[in-house]
Amino acid sequence: MSKKTKVEDNNKKNPLGKIALWIVLLTFAVIQIFPLVWLLDFSVASSNEMFTNGLLIWPETFRFDNYVNAFQNGHVGTYLIHSLVINVLAVVCVLLFSVMMAFACSRMHWKLSKAVLGMIMLGMMIPIHATLLPNYVIYDRLHLTDTLFALLIPYVAFSLPQGLFLTVGFMSSIPREIEEAAVIDGCGVFRIVFTIITPMLKSSLVTVSIMTFLNNWNEFMMASTYLSSPKWKTLPFSVLEFTGLYSSNYAVQFAVMALSAAPMIIIYIILNKQITKGVAMGAVKG
Amino acid sequence: MKKKLLSMLLAAGMVVSLTACGGSADTADGGQQAAPAADSAAEETPAAEDGGAAASGEAVTIKVFSNLPDRTSGQGLVEQTLFDDYMKENPNVTIEVEALDDEAYKTKFKAYASGSQMPDLVNVWGQPGFLDEVMEAGLLAELNMDDYADYNFLPGSLDGFSQNGKLYGLSRNTDVMCFYYNQKIFEDNGWEVPKTYEELLELGEKVRAAGLQPVSMFGGDKWSLYIYIHDLEEQLDGSGVMAKTNDAIRNHDFSDPTFKQAADLFVESVDRGLFQNGFESNDGGTAKNLFTNGQAAMYYTGSWEMSMVTDQDIPDEIRENIRVFLMPVPEGGKGDATTITAWHGGGYAVTESAANKEEAIKLLNYMFRPEGWTRIAWENGVCMSAQNFGDFATGSETEVQKQLMQLVADATDLSGTPLGDLGSSEFKTICEDKSQELAAGKITADDYLKALEAVGQ
Amino acid sequence: MHKTYSNKAVITTLVLPGVLTFVFAILAPICLSVYYGFTDYSGLGAYQFVGIDNYKELFKDSGFWLSVRNSLLLAAGFICIQHPLAILTAVILDRMQGKAEGFFRCVYFLPNVISVAVIAYLWKFIYDPNFGLLNNIIKMFGGEGTTNWLGTGTAIWSVLIVLVWHGFGWGMLIYYTGIKNIDPVLYEAASIDGADNKQIFFRITLPLMKPVIQINVTLAIISALKQMETVYLLTNGGPGNETQFLANYLYKQAFQSFRYGYGNAISVIFVLICICATGLLNIVFPKEKEA
Repeated sequence: MSKKTKVEDNNKKNPLGKIALWIVLLTFAVIQIFPLVWLLDFSVASSNEMFTNGLLIWPETFRFDNYVNAFQNGHVGTYLIHSLVINVLAVVCVLLFSVMMAFACSRMHWKLSKAVLGMIMLGMMIPIHATLLPNYVIYDRLHLTDTLFALLIPYVAFSLPQGLFLTVGFMSSIPREIEEAAVIDGCGVFRIVFTIITPMLKSSLVTVSIMTFLNNWNEFMMASTYLSSPKWKTLPFSVLEFTGLYSSNYAVQFAVMALSAAPMIIIYIILNKQITKGVAMGAVKG
Repeated sequence: MKKKLLSMLLAAGMVVSLTACGGSADTADGGQQAAPAADSAAEETPAAEDGGAAASGEAVTIKVFSNLPDRTSGQGLVEQTLFDDYMKENPNVTIEVEALDDEAYKTKFKAYASGSQMPDLVNVWGQPGFLDEVMEAGLLAELNMDDYADYNFLPGSLDGFSQNGKLYGLSRNTDVMCFYYNQKIFEDNGWEVPKTYEELLELGEKVRAAGLQPVSMFGGDKWSLYIYIHDLEEQLDGSGVMAKTNDAIRNHDFSDPTFKQAADLFVESVDRGLFQNGFESNDGGTAKNLFTNGQAAMYYTGSWEMSMVTDQDIPDEIRENIRVFLMPVPEGGKGDATTITAWHGGGYAVTESAANKEEAIKLLNYMFRPEGWTRIAWENGVCMSAQNFGDFATGSETEVQKQLMQLVADATDLSGTPLGDLGSSEFKTICEDKSQELAAGKITADDYLKALEAVGQ
Repeated sequence: MHKTYSNKAVITTLVLPGVLTFVFAILAPICLSVYYGFTDYSGLGAYQFVGIDNYKELFKDSGFWLSVRNSLLLAAGFICIQHPLAILTAVILDRMQGKAEGFFRCVYFLPNVISVAVIAYLWKFIYDPNFGLLNNIIKMFGGEGTTNWLGTGTAIWSVLIVLVWHGFGWGMLIYYTGIKNIDPVLYEAASIDGADNKQIFFRITLPLMKPVIQINVTLAIISALKQMETVYLLTNGGPGNETQFLANYLYKQAFQSFRYGYGNAISVIFVLICICATGLLNIVFPKEKEA
């Protein structure tokens, strides 16, 4: 209601101003999106068309076979599945561990609760890459390199602090009366956590999931250090490997870049609202 | 807020105290963690158990770590062909290849080397900057010198792969540095192949005036820059330069005038626009593409790129016109056409910890029997092996191949391992960085040499 | 109630998985780093304790200081370029309303969901001195267009631009949410009092956004310190060490120069810097409410 009056107000006052605002918005939009348009444009061109002077081109022939080539030789399909498996597992673990720990630390009574909470929170400050070297030695000794766990463990560990932090925050807004009633009814702690508290945390768990997913989806330093066979390679490898493979064919390189960016863009467009809300909530709370 | 700060402090305290005791506990790490490790190893790599039984035809997996990511053309295809043939002849053997680009390969190799699970057959460079530390650490399996008596390896080609009289690897190629040029562009513009370095610089200015990039180079892979400088030293000083360079690195003394002259010449070349814009940060792919798309008239790289001529991705009118010339001699230089900057760099080694050492060595020997790598690589116009590839000359080679074969045949003086690869890996890293800074005009030739002298002092 | 909630076994079960993961993946490696940081371990073979030699060398190492400088530069870039622009667009977007708002928000945020590997390679092409998009644009406007963007002198700015571009949508989104949370009644009141847009922005919007800005600034500084992936692919710290960042530098020392011990010493300092920075930010921006 009140918003409406504000907008109307502005319209009446200053139509020129509104155009200026539009121009600003559009400029930023173009800056953000144009590189991606450029990428798509040249991904269907021939390689030597890169060496023209214009910004965008109308390819002489549309080379959609670039994409076929990219999909087959870039292992986009397999690597995408690996990425999804690892990231979904990481999200599940982070959610589970966060809810359990948050409950134990903020609701239950034990001496070290604050200390443990603080220790994990400290993890938020620790850069993931500082552990690259020692973790390599540890995983190597334990023969964890080139397995799913080499990625899953650090991904979970480094997302846990934030997840825990958010969950503790959200949990504090849940009134204790509900639990008290449940306890009197003879309900065990695990049932309280998983059947009473967890459902009430639903929207905040979505936030934690989104933050965890976005944080880990991009990671490839660990992946490229700890993995060696294609068994668990993740999506960024499609791009990394491909540049060596097709060093003299730019168009196919562009196609593989576009392809490996596509899944997240699609996910984003579908879950636009939830992601927006999640990111905003995550940041404002965290 | 107060509460939170307190808990933070508490936690910080915990970390500190844990760290303090952690220091001593860590030494026991290996021992403590070995127990679970044994279990998981047994589960995950059943093939490892079969090492001893390899000969009896049980399933064997050989893990190969290769620097040839492109398995469908060039050297990668040759390698893959040999692997496929080997698997066909030995159905019990499976060969798993992990392949990365040069730079990524070197990094990952070092990570592997510091760990305990090296692949079985690996690519190595027979150069001190890469291999000495690895051989010293006993990571590579010793090969039997006598096995290779009739493999026709070129004289000196296995030196870099040996230490204290023991052989640890086989050399793959003879690498010659050269300028590839586009004959058609040259003829169309009336340009001639330069005979002196000054002519090359003048040619560069003409090419630039004609709207093309003169020499394409990949300074993003920084080693190409010090190779160029080394090539200049070689042409300036002839055969003496190798010994001089070795002494200079050992004695931390680069005061010999050759080094300064070469660095100065390099700087002059940069200033006069001999190389493409941004050459100091362009990577291999970009540099090559400039040349193969007709944007650059010349391309300074090694003989390993001779397969450009047969690469279907490159437009026909360009690849059919590719020819070669060597680094021209600067004024007053002692070098001549028989002085070439060439070495035997890349090669293979079997790791000491290989689960199937015997089988991996068998595979290595299979690859390098004369009719293996040498013949396939030569007949497909991919590269010159480190063995007597001339045996397989048919007369139907590409022009570039013929030219390069002639150059090597005429050569009386091969430079050997280039500058940055002659010292420790630390020397190499610094030599790379400083060469790039020199190319970018950030430091002077004097700073450059001083920085090289300072390494390890 | 109290009895159920202080059952030690239950607590242990709830806490253990998280704590174990944390200890195994964060705490133990850091302890190991501290240990190796005192050695001259090359990554191969035997090693010796060298006391604090690594740290002494580190403080004289220009590569290290360049890394620190670059992190500060990047943080400054985020705070002085990215955030003002993000606030500006967020405010405008808030004014627009309607369908366009969703579209713009989506477009701004899009680069954020694209993997760093793609972003880095894409920008490598954009920056290419001979056929890149950027130089082509400059040529279109009559410029010479031969700048080597990733070359010496310009490289660090080029890297900054990519990072600012990539994270723009994230910052914008958070500011946007912050603005949305401002009670519209305040605007109305201001309008009635005859305040113009500028006044409204500086007197109402900005002050009320303070907590959000604090959060965003904190996030920006931390992420500037932690930067690695984009730089690794875009320049790998080059030319020389001009665009070096701490994470990339320790990786390079350990796995390119065979100086594993030294690399670990950098790791330790890296962790300390991050902790100090967070601590400092907590002091500068005290949180108004308990989380």
